[in-house]
Amino acid sequence: MSAAPGTRLLLASVLVVATCGLVYELIAATMASYLLGDSVTQWSLVIGVYLSAMGLGSWLSKFVVKDLHARFIAVQLVIAVVGGLSAVALFYGYAYLASVRPLLFSILVIVGTMVGLEIPLLMRIVGEGQELKDTVARVLAFDYVGALLASLLFPLALLPHLGLVRASLLCGLFNAVVALACARVFREHLARPRAALTQALLVCAALAAGLLFGGRLERLAERELYDAPVIFSEKTAYQRLTITRSGEDIRLYIDGNLQFASSDEHRYHEALVHPALAGAAPRRALVLGGGDGLAVRELLKYPGLERIDLVDLDPGMTRLFGRDPLLVRINRASLTDPRVHVHNADAMRWLEEHVRSTSESYDVAVVDLPDPNNFSLGKLYTASFYRLLRRALAPSGVGVIQATSPYLAPRSFWCVVKTLAAAELHPRPYHAHVPSFGDWGFVLVSPAPRPEPTRLADVPLRFLDDALLPTLFVFPRDQQPPDVDYNRLNDQLLVHYYEEDLRALPGRGGRG
Amino acid sequence: MNRRGFLGGAAGTVAAAATCGPGQPAPPAVEFVGPEPERGHHLREGTWREGPVHETIHTDVAIVGAGVAGSAAAWRLRRAGLADVHLFELEDDVGGTARGGELPRSRHPLGAHYLPTPPPGCPALERLLADLGIILGRDRHGRPEYAPSAIAAAPLERHFGRGRWYEGLYPAAGETADEAAQWTRWHDHLRHLDGRRGSDGRPLFAIPVSRSSAELRHLDAVSFADYLDDLGFTSARLRWAVDYACRDDYGCTLAQTSAFAGLHHFLARGLEETRGGFLLTWPEGNARLVRGMLDRAGLGDRLHRGAAVVAVDPAAGELLVHRPGDGRRLRVHARAILWAAPRFVLTRLLAADPLAPGALTYAPWLVASVEVRTAPRGLGARLAWDNVPLAGPSLGYVVATHGEPADARRPGAVLTYYEPLCGDGPAELAVQRRRLLSADLSRWSDHVVAALSAMHPGIAGEITSVSITRWGHAMIRPVPGLLFGPALARARAPIDRVRPCAADVAGLPLFEEAFYQGSSAALAALVDLGRAAPDALADELL
Repeated sequence: MSAAPGTRLLLASVLVVATCGLVYELIAATMASYLLGDSVTQWSLVIGVYLSAMGLGSWLSKFVVKDLHARFIAVQLVIAVVGGLSAVALFYGYAYLASVRPLLFSILVIVGTMVGLEIPLLMRIVGEGQELKDTVARVLAFDYVGALLASLLFPLALLPHLGLVRASLLCGLFNAVVALACARVFREHLARPRAALTQALLVCAALAAGLLFGGRLERLAERELYDAPVIFSEKTAYQRLTITRSGEDIRLYIDGNLQFASSDEHRYHEALVHPALAGAAPRRALVLGGGDGLAVRELLKYPGLERIDLVDLDPGMTRLFGRDPLLVRINRASLTDPRVHVHNADAMRWLEEHVRSTSESYDVAVVDLPDPNNFSLGKLYTASFYRLLRRALAPSGVGVIQATSPYLAPRSFWCVVKTLAAAELHPRPYHAHVPSFGDWGFVLVSPAPRPEPTRLADVPLRFLDDALLPTLFVFPRDQQPPDVDYNRLNDQLLVHYYEEDLRALPGRGGRG
Repeated sequence: MNRRGFLGGAAGTVAAAATCGPGQPAPPAVEFVGPEPERGHHLREGTWREGPVHETIHTDVAIVGAGVAGSAAAWRLRRAGLADVHLFELEDDVGGTARGGELPRSRHPLGAHYLPTPPPGCPALERLLADLGIILGRDRHGRPEYAPSAIAAAPLERHFGRGRWYEGLYPAAGETADEAAQWTRWHDHLRHLDGRRGSDGRPLFAIPVSRSSAELRHLDAVSFADYLDDLGFTSARLRWAVDYACRDDYGCTLAQTSAFAGLHHFLARGLEETRGGFLLTWPEGNARLVRGMLDRAGLGDRLHRGAAVVAVDPAAGELLVHRPGDGRRLRVHARAILWAAPRFVLTRLLAADPLAPGALTYAPWLVASVEVRTAPRGLGARLAWDNVPLAGPSLGYVVATHGEPADARRPGAVLTYYEPLCGDGPAELAVQRRRLLSADLSRWSDHVVAALSAMHPGIAGEITSVSITRWGHAMIRPVPGLLFGPALARARAPIDRVRPCAADVAGLPLFEEAFYQGSSAALAALVDLGRAAPDALADELL
């Protein structure tokens, strides 16, 4: 039996529909486990919802009684649009919605229903003038071949070479091309052939354009992608906290930006805390930010400390790091130590209130805030903020500021240094190598001038020692201060410097 | 369909989806707030003048008006240890044109809403700010350090034109080379004048303005528009930016503002880019400062709200006070009377006033606080503290919730909309004032919503509340010839025991002027009462 050109096209359509349909399902399942963690649950949920939606579609197909060709083309275009844009929608939904689940399941149900509707429609179109057994055999054979194709293509070709966003756009484009071909070949079966053709062309063009700019879309979207399996993800009132785990390495991301990697965070936190405490015997300590409790863990190595006040905006963060067994193992339950008092508040307001209401001052202050990538965070790097900090410190007190990377964000780093000088805090910039961040910068500060620290206190350390300590304060020739102004609350230059620094980076690095 | 059309359509669909079903958004609650025009009418008509007196008060100092000047006077008297002070305020709430209001989402200003940090040489004002906890202390050079919560934070300003927002308040987009050169030359011109002193050793432009050098006072005789003409500043962009500044500060257009007053705005606190100062602001605007001064003045029940002064006898030091709330009337005998209410009200109560009626002119203003469910955004520059449209008579809106700390992350915002009703002379101003006071509530709320919608299509559906304040006499207009002319000197001169001391008799409608008028009048009263040495005045204020 020789198939008519129409039939050959339809069988090719079955292959494309089946392949793309499964690819959408795989994309949804992959994204669900990337973004939501707990991959077993996500995979089974996605497969279950998708298959049942297909069943729904198949059942609905009995209500389609006329204009089969037109309906088939329309269904194909819906799949092209919804499926093709599914990855983009999920990335952005993840970034901007409180919960991405409703979006995920809506996409699954729409694509599943349409794919389920499509195969019976195809069978009925192909089957006109054929025996049922032939039709079923041929359509289902192509359907299952398509499934095999998808399951091989997705992990071996699409995901590694195109990424999720472009893979889904490409599949959408295939669906749209099928619709376009059908609109041409079956034009005499259509009531409005021109409209169908135009619609298919428009969808093709849109998806092709998306594919063209897919690289950019994906770079934006990749901010939300992690290198290792997600074991926890929560959108608190303020930020998205994501924890990944790969072997023994546990990483925390805030809004997609790496905050620490357990494999080398000791370098960061030792460099952050101990130079400030060299030669000091602090009794009262203040930590601004640092809701992960890791700076507090380092501070608690000093037996003379009587009280630590930790101010972190996000109760979700301090709760997580106070309770979760895995994280408590990393911060050694620092947040539940009786000497530690956690305040969930805006650091600027809390500090102003503190300065106003009490004369009690701190011997040491550790400012460990996320990088100044927006105005709300940028406020906490202004001269006004540092002046409050100076007032909160004892005259002989000392503080330290995490100050972004002097290598990746030089203008930002030196702007922080200059701002601290404007606030009369006698800044001493230094840096350390933290493999997961790169070259990272800190600034020692004090209300009164102090000599550079030379001897660390006698506390257990894995990274720092007295030989390394003075070298941290040396900046090589290619890291000399650029010409920058200081950061005022009413202009927030630092946020602009930081944006410029990031734009100047070849690839993204650091804590973002 | 273009990009904006598409986005708008998509937003519309979402909005329609969100609002369909039983929960249609309620129409916004609309109300008049602020001063009640009826009270002013009663004063003008003299309807409250006749009637029995229920009580007589004898006091050292009576202050009339609990705006900035009156509160500053009360604060200053308290600092000097004088306790026998009564303060009479016509309205039920204090603040004068620096009054504040409150909507469920946030407090908001009804009028004046910020104060630039004072330039060096204003010790009395710095003392106030320290007393109110706004100056936390000083750095090692002795410069004040301000509480960050009071500092207007970046982004400060943006403007709206041709469908999108741009940073700052100079419409640079699309300027010609000549316009750019004029803008540079304008800044060079200002820089040339910045920080200079006259041959008399005084700053060219001082705060308070009365301390300015005589050197450039002749510029008060010409309008700012003529001044720019003479210097060849023809750029429409430059003139818009400068005109905006005049309307914003003085309720006058470029042509209505004296060149001295205009330059004073740009230079009295040092040039913006070099002074290193801040704008201090609070959700309720300068009402915070007034309340702070009154709290520290500790007047208790000697602060009389809703108390209209309906008659004045300067020679006898006597006031007649009518309280429309309970109909009670007080006779007040004071050794000194500080008239911290607008000077034109005093004119109406005096049998004979050396000041000619209409010698001072006042700008009417419309102010509206608008509560929205979600903070506005817009294409281009991000939402700033001050958001100004290039087109139309309004000055745009200020975000009362701008300075909220991050831990109060709540949706929505309160926007305060400002529109001075400019007029060329007393007749035009009278027309504007009548228009302001006679139109009904829905007319003004529609007007405000339309003005906001021009900047934010679709904002109407987000609005939950509109509070309209009508200021018939919002501020003194520093028209050419006012500042150093005879009328102002006459307006400020004491009449027997009455010392006029509101901002209007200073000639510039600024917090600083009101503060200095009020506190120096207080000091003068202390001298009159023998409670301060005559040279204290010069020592403290100069």
